[in-house]
Amino acid sequence: MKPRHALLAVLVGLLAAAPWMLSDFMLSLVLTCLMYAGLTVTWAMFSGATNYLSLATAAFFGIGAYVTAWGFGALPYAVVVPLGGVASAVFAALIGAAVLHLRGAYFAVLTFGLGELVRHAITYFEKSYAHTVGRVIANPPESTSVYLTVLAIAAAAVWASVAVRRSRFGLALAGIGADEERAETLGVNTRRTKIAGFALSAFFAGALGAAMAVRWTYIEPNSVFNPFIGFQTVLIAMVGGAHTLIGPLVSSVVFSVLTEFLRLQFPYLFLTLLGLALILLVLYLPGGLASLWPILRARIAALGARLAALEGEGARG
Amino acid sequence: MADALLTAQGITVRFGGLLAVDAVGLEVRERELVGMIGPNGAGKTTLFHALSGVLKPNAGRLVVGGDDLTGRPAHLFATHGIARTFQTPRVFRTMTAEQNVRFGLAFAGRGRRHSHCAFDDAGSILGFLGLDEAARVPAAALTPAKQRLLEIGMALGARPRVLLLDEVAAGLTEAEVDAVSDLVRRVRDELGLAVVWIEHAVRALMNCVERIVVLHQGRKIADDLPQLVARDPAVIEAYLGEAAA
Repeated sequence: MKPRHALLAVLVGLLAAAPWMLSDFMLSLVLTCLMYAGLTVTWAMFSGATNYLSLATAAFFGIGAYVTAWGFGALPYAVVVPLGGVASAVFAALIGAAVLHLRGAYFAVLTFGLGELVRHAITYFEKSYAHTVGRVIANPPESTSVYLTVLAIAAAAVWASVAVRRSRFGLALAGIGADEERAETLGVNTRRTKIAGFALSAFFAGALGAAMAVRWTYIEPNSVFNPFIGFQTVLIAMVGGAHTLIGPLVSSVVFSVLTEFLRLQFPYLFLTLLGLALILLVLYLPGGLASLWPILRARIAALGARLAALEGEGARG
Repeated sequence: MADALLTAQGITVRFGGLLAVDAVGLEVRERELVGMIGPNGAGKTTLFHALSGVLKPNAGRLVVGGDDLTGRPAHLFATHGIARTFQTPRVFRTMTAEQNVRFGLAFAGRGRRHSHCAFDDAGSILGFLGLDEAARVPAAALTPAKQRLLEIGMALGARPRVLLLDEVAAGLTEAEVDAVSDLVRRVRDELGLAVVWIEHAVRALMNCVERIVVLHQGRKIADDLPQLVARDPAVIEAYLGEAAA
């Protein structure tokens, strides 16, 4: 086992032990971190690599949540969660086949509209056929098993991102991001690659939506198809550095903790402060938090060299 | 005569009301070295787009390596042995030169039979082009002349049978143009590829290729040996007409 893998295993082990070590408040904070980590890492896997800016995360998340709303009870939790992922992936593949030839702002706006469309469609369906506005989740699973499920999805998301980055599929996605037409002329089936990448990232968003839905006990379209989930995912990934793996990971922790801290300390100002922090980050760190690392490393190396030089002088003197 | 690697019949491309390519036919056989000339706006690049599948022609038929690929996506053209460069080099800027070449090898070039050891891997392709020292340099940091070479390297990575070169010598000094000319010959002589080369440097092209295709206002007006094309009245008219305008 490489040291990096060992580190990751230890981290996952520690996180898995968290329910027995942390307070309820802290555990819920860690859960939020994990949810955003899973969402942003898989968003970056597709959108970061290909530069297809997707705002459809809210739609995928909501579809997953509705699979739980409709299926939980009849089906066990362990079944509705992957089912939510599969439902979102199928939806993404169908939509992707229709719209993935659009680029830039058109694609972004369209994926945003998608969330709204699904939200209204479900609202209409529930009102007309089920004669209800929302759904109550009866007998939700214990918070520990929800936490562990979300942890498992987040860990799988990170693993999948690493695996995709190292694969030929990941290379194809990166080629599409760099110059789609060039990649196509070098033999990449860009259409199939894009649809597969979009569906894979939707799978994780859907599974996370299905897993998190049981925490709300009452589910209605307006709460689970929250466009902010889509925006936040994009923001976190960009703040972290959408082209990297570690950036979105670190950033989802920073973002979740910062949000919680500001919300508690400055309940009226917190969104303003959060916005300010984001503007500053985008202005002064356009490459995201991940771009700090090479700078820091250079500083540390320089410091080390200076220390070594000083020591050398000391030894001579 | 060997079978055609690429056969285009009646290729027609319209942009709105403009007829960019007008019923052009072209056949490229194994190890052929074909030059393509024509005044600006003659439709040369548009024809290349059609021949490489980047653009679907409005009419006509394209047969590549025995398969009818009319209207099919460009990646199939690549996997059937057509590789191309673009007029403005389109290298993957953040990737190193080696990664750029490896890209084609990972997709269209993957598993394709090849007879020459220059096609073995990214290193041997860069070596063939004289770019060994640039292997670890990001493509964006290379000089424009080297980026053009690297683009040829990306295309060679696809292990093609036909190489379409779109003005790879544009903006180069005379000595550099001669070097490119030598390279094109080596691609044919040593690697055994067929090459179709669009270039405005007519003199260099005439000395290099064995057959010249002339396009004018979207139509093919000549397709013959260089010395015959040079004497063709229609060709002289097209060029003089442009010079007089």
